[in-house]
Amino acid sequence: MSQEKALVMTEQDVFRILKRIAIEIVERNKGLDDVVLLGIQRRGVYLANRLKDLFRDIEGVKVPTGELDITLYRDDIPTLLEQPVVHSTSIPVDIAGKKLILVDDVLYTGRTIRAALDALMDMGRPANVQLVILVDRGHRELPIQADYVGKNIPTSRTEMVEVRVKELDGEDKVVIIERKEV
Amino acid sequence: MILIRGVTLFDGDKISEKPLDVLIDGGKVVKIAPSQAIEDAEEIDGAGRVLCPGFIDIHVHVREPGFEWREDLESCSMAAAAGGYSTVVAMPNTEPAIDSAPLVDFVARKGAQLKGARVLPSGCVTRERKGHLIAELGKMAEAGAVFFTDDGSPVSTSQILKTALYYTRDLGVRIMEHPEETSLTSGGQVNEGLASSVSGMKGIPASAEYIDVVRGIALSRDTGSPIHFTHVSTALAIDAIRMAKKEGLHVTCDVTAHHLSLDENHVLVSKFDSLYKVNPPLRSKADAKALWEALGDGTVDALITDHAPWHSDEKDLPFQEAPFGIASLECSVAVIFDTWLKLGRPVPLERLLQLFTSGPASLLPAGWRHLGRIEEGSVADLTLVDLDESRHVDISSWKSKGRNCPWRGEILTGWPVLSILRGSVFKKEI
Amino acid sequence: MNWRHKDLIDLDDWTREEFNLFLEQANYMEELLNRPIKKVPALRGKLIVNFFFEPSTRTRVSFELAEKMLSADVVNWSSSGSSVSKGETLRDTAWTLEAMGADAVVIRYGAVGAADYLSRKLRKASVFNAGDGTHGHPTQALLDLHSAWKKLGNLEGSKIAIVGDVLHSRVARSNIKAFSKMGVKVVLSGPATLMPADIPSLGAEYDPDPRSAVRDAHMIYLLRIQSERQEQGLIPSLDEYHLRYGATEELVALGRKDVLVMHPGPINRRVEIASEVADGEQSIILKQVRSGVAVRMALLYLCLGGVRN
Repeated sequence: MSQEKALVMTEQDVFRILKRIAIEIVERNKGLDDVVLLGIQRRGVYLANRLKDLFRDIEGVKVPTGELDITLYRDDIPTLLEQPVVHSTSIPVDIAGKKLILVDDVLYTGRTIRAALDALMDMGRPANVQLVILVDRGHRELPIQADYVGKNIPTSRTEMVEVRVKELDGEDKVVIIERKEV
Repeated sequence: MILIRGVTLFDGDKISEKPLDVLIDGGKVVKIAPSQAIEDAEEIDGAGRVLCPGFIDIHVHVREPGFEWREDLESCSMAAAAGGYSTVVAMPNTEPAIDSAPLVDFVARKGAQLKGARVLPSGCVTRERKGHLIAELGKMAEAGAVFFTDDGSPVSTSQILKTALYYTRDLGVRIMEHPEETSLTSGGQVNEGLASSVSGMKGIPASAEYIDVVRGIALSRDTGSPIHFTHVSTALAIDAIRMAKKEGLHVTCDVTAHHLSLDENHVLVSKFDSLYKVNPPLRSKADAKALWEALGDGTVDALITDHAPWHSDEKDLPFQEAPFGIASLECSVAVIFDTWLKLGRPVPLERLLQLFTSGPASLLPAGWRHLGRIEEGSVADLTLVDLDESRHVDISSWKSKGRNCPWRGEILTGWPVLSILRGSVFKKEI
Repeated sequence: MNWRHKDLIDLDDWTREEFNLFLEQANYMEELLNRPIKKVPALRGKLIVNFFFEPSTRTRVSFELAEKMLSADVVNWSSSGSSVSKGETLRDTAWTLEAMGADAVVIRYGAVGAADYLSRKLRKASVFNAGDGTHGHPTQALLDLHSAWKKLGNLEGSKIAIVGDVLHSRVARSNIKAFSKMGVKVVLSGPATLMPADIPSLGAEYDPDPRSAVRDAHMIYLLRIQSERQEQGLIPSLDEYHLRYGATEELVALGRKDVLVMHPGPINRRVEIASEVADGEQSIILKQVRSGVAVRMALLYLCLGGVRN
């Protein structure tokens, strides 16, 4: 059983943060030429779609947006309780020479991003890979860092950060949960 | 002297109404009466249990001579006694097959001196069981053969069977026919029906058993000679035998414990465990039901084990590669009582006990028929049954070399708890 | 959903939910076949032994591709010249394989119950049944289900006609099971000499006339007829079989307009299927092969991917 400990972002916070990140991306890449958004399954995909909509509203540009499932590249499956199921991977363009913006909800140990990078290596040779993260909760186990961070939230190892999205969970919200042993 | 106190006595025929004490001395039953007071007697409390004549199993594969790594006369005798049997009949499909007087004599002599149950020999109908020439049936009868059978196979041709039936008509030794029309069953592995359809293995049809039973009945009618059908497994065959008996023909039959308690579903549910591979195969639920009805109405004369021991190297194989056969001497009695209890006692206890004792005894040559009864002066071969006793089937403690038993590890109710052989206690578990 | 199977011996206890989940997973696996580098590290370090005691090229190659795409280490152990042909029992071979560290064994063996038997003997390794005698070929059924589902979507309420030698066919047995679990009506057709004794117990119907069997069917599934059947006297000739039961264009036209024509391969042209039909628009025979690799990848990943219940 888990228990909500703290509310970290409301729906409005999420929207404002994504808007700020979208503007940062445009600034750093000097526009959106050759930019491709890639959401990491599952919630990263919805966040990537939000960024795509924001790019359309702010810059009037339609940025190619895809989804990447990294289940088959994970290194932590034996530690899990349930065999994770695979979700779709679908990238609408050839990634060679593109500026790939990886989007995920929470950055923790860094292993998910490591797996995503391995997957991308097998798919082609982008010009560069940049990382968008909504919440960085610390406790890195690999030398991975995000280029665009929504919020830094220090957590303890018994806590979990849960990002909820309207499409899956009915609301946009970020909470901290205390994970109790069952 | 041994005094067994307070038993319900089954004398081969009836169950006593009141508890009785049975006194044994000098290898015989000396006195049967309520509340005996005897000094110097070893007393055994038999209250709440049924004392019966030692059970008789007329169809057991001893594997000696020729296949002693699977079983031999000694281990078989000990296993039978542990299972509550005081007499068993050895099948002659050994190597060499028991098809001549000296070989019958070998089994008869050895079988009479064993430490467990006595083993009586049977002889082949045809030389080497090949089905071409009749063996020396007269000499074998003289040497002590109690049945003639080519078991493992039917008698090959109708003409040979007819000749053999004529020949044995007045010999006092019955022909035991293994009913199977082999051109229909060759290559078959399981019952033709559900098991063959689901598994794709070739089926052994019920009609193969039926055809051979009808053949045997017709020839028994023609010759006026008795014929006994062994391990009958199908409703079709049972119905034919019932009608033959109604007609007054000398037709008898026996049924195995596994056909009464298991069916073809077990092959599937066990995921093709070769422990459930047997010939005749485990049949349909309807066939098993018909067998129980036949126990009740007198169509069946005896219960057998068809004990077929195999070394685990030979039997522990994928289903389709394994040989046929179930080893069950040491749990068969419990299997039958357990199934009987679970079905709500579908036949009277008296009838069931007859099928273990006086029934099979009546099929033996005249000199052995006394084995199925208890009376003052009879040989003290006794089995005490406890219908409330529940126990695991523990194959690791078995005397038999064959451990291919599908009930291994199961809890069964209704065990033989005391075995007295020729007046001495063989096993006492009370 | 927690994937609870560590082996695939048969499909007897798969639930409808599990089938649906599996079909989706197979779809996602199929995407890998489109990548430039067809490899993911999901089964890296796992040792899989392909134990094929009956000759087979397509099934073994399909499994091998799936295993290699998931980065597993693969060893092919086939019958000829192997220790089993020298008399080593399946039991001893199984223990040898486990001692060598096999994480999984894919077994094709000519005796019913062989995969069940092997899984009883192995303590840890997973067992995948690639065909046990006449009994089952569950991965074939899964790939058949997948290729039909990709084309038709939800199969509930549809009809499949399976025509041919059902009696000797493990493909037929597994397919009858799988398709009926998905709510498909299964009608068998073919000569009575090539049918099992108790068809209703399998959950299917029998129609001696293939024309009415395929009428309005969504799928027509043809089974191979082996020439031995003629030698065994079960059918008078392959030519007569083709005339009466062969999937000709006339026969296929009796199905629905968009009927799928399926076959487990390899096909016998002009026996169970006419060339025009095998190569025609309705045939999804080659798509079945493609599904085969994806389906086997999904299976290996779900059962071997790392979590042990």
